[in-house]
Amino acid sequence: MSISGVVFATGLILILIGMWGALTHRNILRIIVALSLIGTGSHIVIVAIGYVRAGTAPIIDRALTMSDAPARAVDPIPSALVVTAIVIGLAVTAVMLAYAIRLYDAKKTLSIDAFTESKW
Amino acid sequence: MQRIVIAAPLVLLGLVFTSLALNYAEPQSLRPLAESYVKLVPQELGAPNVITGILLTFRAFDTLGEVAVLFMVAASVGLVLGPAGSRSGVPPAEGREKPRPASDIVRSATQILVPLISIFAAYIIMNGHISAGGGFQGGAVIASGVLLLLLAHPEQRLDLQFLSITESLAGVLFVLVGVAGLFVAGGFLDNRVLPLGQFGAFFSAGAIPLLSVLLGIKVGCELSVILDRFRP
Amino acid sequence: MAELIGSILVLLGAVFHFSAGLGMLRMPDAYTRMQAGTKASTLGNALVLIGLACYHPGWTLKLLVLIYFVFMTNPVSSHALARAAHAIRIPMVQKADIDALRDAREQARGSA
Repeated sequence: MSISGVVFATGLILILIGMWGALTHRNILRIIVALSLIGTGSHIVIVAIGYVRAGTAPIIDRALTMSDAPARAVDPIPSALVVTAIVIGLAVTAVMLAYAIRLYDAKKTLSIDAFTESKW
Repeated sequence: MQRIVIAAPLVLLGLVFTSLALNYAEPQSLRPLAESYVKLVPQELGAPNVITGILLTFRAFDTLGEVAVLFMVAASVGLVLGPAGSRSGVPPAEGREKPRPASDIVRSATQILVPLISIFAAYIIMNGHISAGGGFQGGAVIASGVLLLLLAHPEQRLDLQFLSITESLAGVLFVLVGVAGLFVAGGFLDNRVLPLGQFGAFFSAGAIPLLSVLLGIKVGCELSVILDRFRP
Repeated sequence: MAELIGSILVLLGAVFHFSAGLGMLRMPDAYTRMQAGTKASTLGNALVLIGLACYHPGWTLKLLVLIYFVFMTNPVSSHALARAAHAIRIPMVQKADIDALRDAREQARGSA
């Protein structure tokens, strides 16, 4: 049961929990929290894929010399992708919260059962 | 009936994820592209931090796209919410009850914490090329310091014009450094426009520290503007 | 020997973190949940960091600065949250009949 296997499984479980939460809850803020949880789970999955057995961070310093790096460093590309993905996730959560504030101003309630204009 | 509709996709997705997790085998060595990046970044770019080298030189065009996405998000939050204080229908600065003042504990803790947070943000941004850090991370920490200030002084108004001018200047300088790379060095946003310097020194790795600072300023201003829109 | 002490401290910190999570699930009221989440998890943080200092004695000063930062921010943030929750009148569980903040606010409003 390797370390990155455990982290990979944890990320997948987080995605499932977030999806269950987004489908079950009726309060808008709880749905937003569940969607943010899906984002966090997928970030964890992406970083876990890049792990190399007995590897260390891809930063050249006293612990990892330049000649040693290709043999012992962890994959740097998933980490570079996730760095920007986290900031974008924050920005998308901000947009969702702005919509929640507008919806509350319109109907004075936070339950999505009150918004039935888009249903058939 | 509704429970079946909710449970069915979750069970199916759980089956797919279980087969993914069971067949997961830890890689024994780096893939070819990653190995070439780990070899090339210290040699050609002179940056000890491989991830920052990738983000600001080899894949710098994607970083420019991310900055554009952040700007679009700030604009859409401004469109949905309107200026701070315009949502309750009462015109600001007259006939509106004063916001609840923050308690003494929050105010005194802010006086100690905001300088600490600012120094920490500057440290993260400037150390982007030597050790873990970079522009995006430092910008987010600056925005959290601004959030603490907004919480402790609820009647303070942010100078939005200064923030938007700073943010636009930082973005324009970022693109100008990139265009300079077209004429002086290998291509758009190449970091060899400035001398590479000694490996691991503070002023080294060409234009990467300058790009980190500009990115940190832009991201920090943008997130502060987003936070300011949410005030009542 | 130092590693054994460090491991015990880290385990104790993990137990406190777990009890913080358990408390947040089981408590009946928003205010008691905030109290469980803050106190237990701050102490768990401090214990884990002290246990780490036993493993790497060279990092002790940096870890003490971290513990100071955690002690400064966690209680202040939960204080601000609890005051905000009281101001928008989130209901308190009925068994607790004492509400010092409400009495203080009424007194301030009555004398103003």
